[in-house]
Amino acid sequence: MISPQTLALIREWLPQLLVAAGQTLQMTVWAYALGAVMGLLIALGGMSRQRWLSGLCRVYIEFIRGTPTLIQLFLIYFGLTSVNIVIPGFQAAVIALGAHYAAYMAEVYRSGIVAVDSGQREAAQAIGMRRGQAMAYVIFPQAVRIILPPMTNFAISLLKDTSVASLIAAPELMMRANDITSEYYMPMQVYLLSGAMYFAMSYPLSLGVRYLERRFGRGRQLNLNLA
Amino acid sequence: MSGGGWVRAYHLLPDFLGMLWAGAVMTVIVTAGGFVFAIVVGLLLAALRTGRSRLLHSLIYVYVEVFRAVPVLTQLFIIYFGLGAIGIRLNPIPSAVIGFGLNGGAYLTEVFRSGIESVNRGQTEAALSIGMTRTKALLYIVLPQAVRVVLPSIANFAIGLLKDTSLASAVAAPELSFNAHMLVDRTFLSTQIYLLVAVFYLAMSLPLSAVLHRLERGAARSRRA
Repeated sequence: MISPQTLALIREWLPQLLVAAGQTLQMTVWAYALGAVMGLLIALGGMSRQRWLSGLCRVYIEFIRGTPTLIQLFLIYFGLTSVNIVIPGFQAAVIALGAHYAAYMAEVYRSGIVAVDSGQREAAQAIGMRRGQAMAYVIFPQAVRIILPPMTNFAISLLKDTSVASLIAAPELMMRANDITSEYYMPMQVYLLSGAMYFAMSYPLSLGVRYLERRFGRGRQLNLNLA
Repeated sequence: MSGGGWVRAYHLLPDFLGMLWAGAVMTVIVTAGGFVFAIVVGLLLAALRTGRSRLLHSLIYVYVEVFRAVPVLTQLFIIYFGLGAIGIRLNPIPSAVIGFGLNGGAYLTEVFRSGIESVNRGQTEAALSIGMTRTKALLYIVLPQAVRVVLPSIANFAIGLLKDTSLASAVAAPELSFNAHMLVDRTFLSTQIYLLVAVFYLAMSLPLSAVLHRLERGAARSRRA
């Protein structure tokens, strides 16, 4: 089915695609880190007693969740040039994807924190902890087990979403595939090959999520039995 | 920042709105098409998965895992450019509907499967004991209950799909994002146009997420009852 010529070509493309897959992973890691930090700040801001702050965080989340990643990416990459801010493709993609996932991660943090029984907070305050201390030492460690599976899920979808960065010509796997396609005009072979590389990166992650869900799912049940 | 861009955008607003409206209509069409396609695929495969065929199980597993592990953009390109190069030429809109349908189908197969599994086994047993066939029990007893459980997930999927259809612009489907790129190419007013487009998407997705919240509240209530 695969001719020797095609095989030779694949051997030629493979190193380029592997380098690009490395860039995809880099973009994923940076955007994930940005999203995780920003998301935590937004979640905490959303729970703040300052009305304007929690309102602002709410609006941010709704705006991000209501519009496509693509449009957010274009606003940052093309839109900001009109105010003379020019950001290279890779960085623009990291910022756009990070800002995008921050909104979703904020919701996950919030639901994890809310899920911790309010008695925990009261007990922490009863022994003299401040709000921040109670959050850091008592509530957050318990919320982590609820937060972890969806957070790993975000890593998978983020990895796939980096492909959108090809549309602003940021260097990553999808863009490399587009380049090779326009050079050789063998879209089927090239996109199947790049698809296989995405699979090789995201499938192990999704097995990891399943493991986490099983593990922590059991933990939650145990808690219920004790209660 | 020069205010000129905003003034120019203001004067061009009627043109923008016309073009974006046409794009939004196409976005709704692609979303609806992909949604129906995905629901059909998801229901069908989740139903087939309840059967006893090992082969069918493995095939469905592979389909679900592969389509969920690869970016939808890659899938769209395989369908539009890849199939085109081997002689199967599809227009952008059908390509997008098929791409989102197959991609969403993989996701919804899992959703419906979890819904079916959440229905108490006693329901199937009771249906079988009154003489229903397995198929009938699934269709009339299990699925109606399963669908109720997964309604929030389906609404969530619809919102995601609506936004994902923006990727169809990459295969030149003339939907909202594509029309926006054309306007930007013509006027260079990227900030103004993409903000306007964001408003269009919000106007479509916020009502959907209001529906989602209602469904989630309803689901939480019925769980407590």
